[in-house]
Amino acid sequence: MKQYAYYPGCSLESLGKSYHISAMEVSGALGVELKEIEDWNCCGATAYFPVDELLAYTLTARNLAKAEKTGLDFVAPCSACYKNAYFTNSYLQKDADLAEHINYALEADNLHVYGTSKVRHLIEVFINDVGLEEIKNKVSNPLKGLRVAPYYGCQILRPRKDHEDVENPQYFEGLLSTIGAEPIEYASKTRCCGGSLIVTNRKAALDMVRILLQDAVNHNADVIATTCPMCNVNLEVYQVQVNREFGTHYSIPVMYFTQLMGLALGIVPGHLGIGKEQVSGASMLAFAQNTKQERNL
Amino acid sequence: MSERIGVYVCHCGTNIAGIVDVADVSKWAGEKLADKGVVISRDYKFMCSSLGQELIQKDIKEQKLTRVVVAACSPHLHEKTFRNACKGADLNPYLCELVSIREQDSWVHTDKAAATAKAKAITSGGVARVIHHEALEPLRVPIHPATLVVGGGIAGIQAALEIADAGFRVYLVEREPSIGGHMAQFDKTFPTLDCSACILTPKMVDVGNHPNITLLTWSEVQKVDGYVGNFAVTIKKKPRYIKTEDCNGCGICWEKCPKKVVDNVFEAGMGNRKAVYVPFPQAVPKYPVIDDVNCTYYLKGTCKACEKFCPTNAIDFNQKAEEITVEVGNIILATGYDLFDARRIPQYGYGKLANVFTNLEFERICNAAGPTGGNIVLRDGKTAPKTVGIVHCVGSRDKNYNAYCSAICCMQSLKFAHLVRERTGAEVYNFYIDIRTPSKGYEEFYQRLLEEGTRFVRGKVAEVTNVARVPEEEGKLIIQVEDTLISKQRRIPVDMVILSSGMQARHDSKDVAKLFGISCSADDWYIERHPKLDPVATMTDGIYIAGCAQGPKDIPASVVQGAAAAARVLGKIQQKEISLEPIRATVNEEHCSGCRICNDLCPFNAILFHEETKVSEVNPALCQGCGTCVAACPAGAISGTGFSNEQILSQIDGLLLLNISHAAVPVDN
Amino acid sequence: MVDELSFSYEVGNLMYASHGEPITNCLQCGTCSGTCPAVEFMDHTPRQIIGMIRADLKEEVLASNTYWTCASCFHCTVRCPAEIDVADMMYALKRYSMWKGQFQDGLIGPDFSEAFVKMIVNSGRSFEPLLAATYLPKFSARDIIQEGLIATGLVLKGKMPLLPKKIKGLKKFQQMVRRIIPIGEPS
Repeated sequence: MKQYAYYPGCSLESLGKSYHISAMEVSGALGVELKEIEDWNCCGATAYFPVDELLAYTLTARNLAKAEKTGLDFVAPCSACYKNAYFTNSYLQKDADLAEHINYALEADNLHVYGTSKVRHLIEVFINDVGLEEIKNKVSNPLKGLRVAPYYGCQILRPRKDHEDVENPQYFEGLLSTIGAEPIEYASKTRCCGGSLIVTNRKAALDMVRILLQDAVNHNADVIATTCPMCNVNLEVYQVQVNREFGTHYSIPVMYFTQLMGLALGIVPGHLGIGKEQVSGASMLAFAQNTKQERNL
Repeated sequence: MSERIGVYVCHCGTNIAGIVDVADVSKWAGEKLADKGVVISRDYKFMCSSLGQELIQKDIKEQKLTRVVVAACSPHLHEKTFRNACKGADLNPYLCELVSIREQDSWVHTDKAAATAKAKAITSGGVARVIHHEALEPLRVPIHPATLVVGGGIAGIQAALEIADAGFRVYLVEREPSIGGHMAQFDKTFPTLDCSACILTPKMVDVGNHPNITLLTWSEVQKVDGYVGNFAVTIKKKPRYIKTEDCNGCGICWEKCPKKVVDNVFEAGMGNRKAVYVPFPQAVPKYPVIDDVNCTYYLKGTCKACEKFCPTNAIDFNQKAEEITVEVGNIILATGYDLFDARRIPQYGYGKLANVFTNLEFERICNAAGPTGGNIVLRDGKTAPKTVGIVHCVGSRDKNYNAYCSAICCMQSLKFAHLVRERTGAEVYNFYIDIRTPSKGYEEFYQRLLEEGTRFVRGKVAEVTNVARVPEEEGKLIIQVEDTLISKQRRIPVDMVILSSGMQARHDSKDVAKLFGISCSADDWYIERHPKLDPVATMTDGIYIAGCAQGPKDIPASVVQGAAAAARVLGKIQQKEISLEPIRATVNEEHCSGCRICNDLCPFNAILFHEETKVSEVNPALCQGCGTCVAACPAGAISGTGFSNEQILSQIDGLLLLNISHAAVPVDN
Repeated sequence: MVDELSFSYEVGNLMYASHGEPITNCLQCGTCSGTCPAVEFMDHTPRQIIGMIRADLKEEVLASNTYWTCASCFHCTVRCPAEIDVADMMYALKRYSMWKGQFQDGLIGPDFSEAFVKMIVNSGRSFEPLLAATYLPKFSARDIIQEGLIATGLVLKGKMPLLPKKIKGLKKFQQMVRRIIPIGEPS
């Protein structure tokens, strides 16, 4: 059993509940144990940086410190939490001054951060640690004929420049092929969904979402797969708004990658949070395995 | 017994005198260093001037000086000046020592008192050292009159012709089957719009016919031994599988050859050639080569159509590579450049979007002998574009790829704009950050393009995409860019995109540099001896560089450098003998234990090991006097003339004479 | 000695951790603005903002909506040929404007961030309904109704939290925050 210090993030408890449920199911099926970090706090997402930089890093550092105590890799399923954790960690390693400031604050909570954890995103834990071979072996229900638009979004890729091909990554497509689906190639896969602009500048965000939806639809995608709850909410929950604003008629389901993986692993759709969407995911049910999968407890 | 030393302290205007009390230093040296041998000590405004030098010469004669110490600027600048001054007064130049109280003192300190004390210490060090100097004579080595030129592009061709015309033998080695380089691939050249082949081929023919040029194409240098004036170069002649004595260049072989291969070199992947081929019709020499990787005979043992049809029986499938060794006195490296790989910028779509072309691909399209017969058409080979977008600065001026500017892309992009307009009447957009048109006729060329109605958009292209958002964009390539002059993001639909990819050093430039004993910069271009004052020489005597191998430049500049390198070589050949600095390391054979630690440390490959006697020896012609081996030898068996242990330790003693403490100015002056 | 710090210097000071190149290195090439997915909604392009900062047009910059329209997608940052962290500069401008209390009228961003920060300080976790108070007042009636519909839909599918959560170690957490910025007594 591979173990990880799991940082769900605030969204996964509410808006992104399906992500959390499906992540747990899939991890269980693949021999990955996600141990939730004890008493974690909000990472601040993109809302803290407009106010105070040091405080923003400190919030994440508190969670990193707690993860360090377990000695396990820090795993975040949400791209924004991942980006915050990754960079806080890397700055702590590079900048002794910053580390001193942050640790001075953490001391008040009896914590100290050393910057020794490895920060991972959930998707690459599956791809790199479990491995595509192993995943393929466990796939009992390949999603044949399902055309998936892999939506990377921004913060899972950027502003890192040192890894993968930031302009044209392929790892998500690799994962989707492994579970038997047909990933489609479309140019907007790394274009921003608007993130928090959905609140602070709705018009801008809706326009950005529309461009993504249109590109996916132009390429005949059956479903858009996401790796972040904010992206998922913007693309799915606000589809209705997009239609109202622009007179379009989009109705394309948006699923977390873990939900699709779950279906391929033969897990019952109900256990993956499918059915709880605003834009109906009913079309996904056709791809579920007919036999029920016993849940590992 | 005791030396008679003259000390000269320079003001260098206010460069030194502004911080260091020069008169005080001079006076101090005269008084306090008298017991070391100083008989006269002066200071002067500009020691390097003729008057300053004459001052020294007068003293040498009248005071019968045996040593001279000049405290002034860095030896890099005027060591030669003062040595020559001494020579002029019949004092061996190596008995003169120049110590720097400018770069090492007045230019780096603001505390005047401390700087003056430091100047005294430095001068004292110089005096202590110079006592141990020996009169040295420069080494004289003969210069072999033949020259090796590596690279048959325009720079190499120019260099070869200049030297050959002067009556000396040149070996011109070229890796490809024909000379001509990148210039042979172009259609028209800026700013005159001369046809590239028309101006290049006469020179190529001259090279091919020249009695003094031994043309070795389809060949590569394997090994370089020796030193300036006396190089022994081993060259591998790859097998052409054609007997050149019999071949008359009729072309029947490639006409009959059934095997088509994508030509990734000359046609930039845009067209095909055969397995037996000449790269282009005006190839020099005219002999084809057989590509033994793709030829059916070598793959399956069949075909042999060329052999069947060759009227002079010139095909020889069993031909072997040949290694020859030539003796030359000087070497010129003119190995050219590689193009930046535009696939490294995925957002420009090269390799994914069909109608995105690189500059070299577009040159081949424009060229009348190219894959489209000179017609500017899209990848389908027939449709003419109605709008064309030309992107400047692809891979250049970008810290993510190459930070430098590639010098020629602006002019090249303007040239493309003109050609597109002239031949297709299409609408042309140029997307730039700055328009760089510095040379003769270049700015006027830009004016011409403005008059022709080219649409200039100032903005570095962010993306090239085929994802349409509005009906006008359907089926087009959309260039997304900020038009910075109006501060708006624009999406401009075009049919064809041309990327002006930058120049890079050849992918193997570091290996080639190592082969010849020179270095590369951080960007992998060969390094010149001095970026302003000596751009064609290298730090290795006898090896010169010319053309784009030294950095991005246009054709006129490449020709200039080729000619300059040739002139330097001719100057050396003409002297028949040159003198080398005698600052060298020597191995004391008796103390050498044969451990060979020094052999691999030498950056100039100047140390030989004698198997029979088990001792190492320094080749004085290759040795540059860097001192690495001297420091590394565990037995202390190597000493440097001009930097012996004695000299260095004495200099240190001299420096410490004043015992300058951390706090302030020394008490007793 | 400098009498007054230039605006670009001040902004640079607020870009602490990112280790990008200084904004004074900007070539004004426009790659950032050509890439930006939200540029259509900005009154000045990102490149223009950098130009304005360098020209010390502080008031105009702070009055612009550009940096509050930045979605922090970092695409500009990874493409900038001068390796300037443009998105981080947008954050720095947000911080500057929050500190001075100077920004364009009618923007939701400043209120939203302030509310978010207070919310976290008070509970350690985010709670969406609380944040609604920051933006709903600025919405049109039609938009408020739509938002209400969406919220209802989410509640029905169990995706909207109805009660705020608090972390267990809240007191110590708040002491930790106090060591960074003074927050007074929590409400």
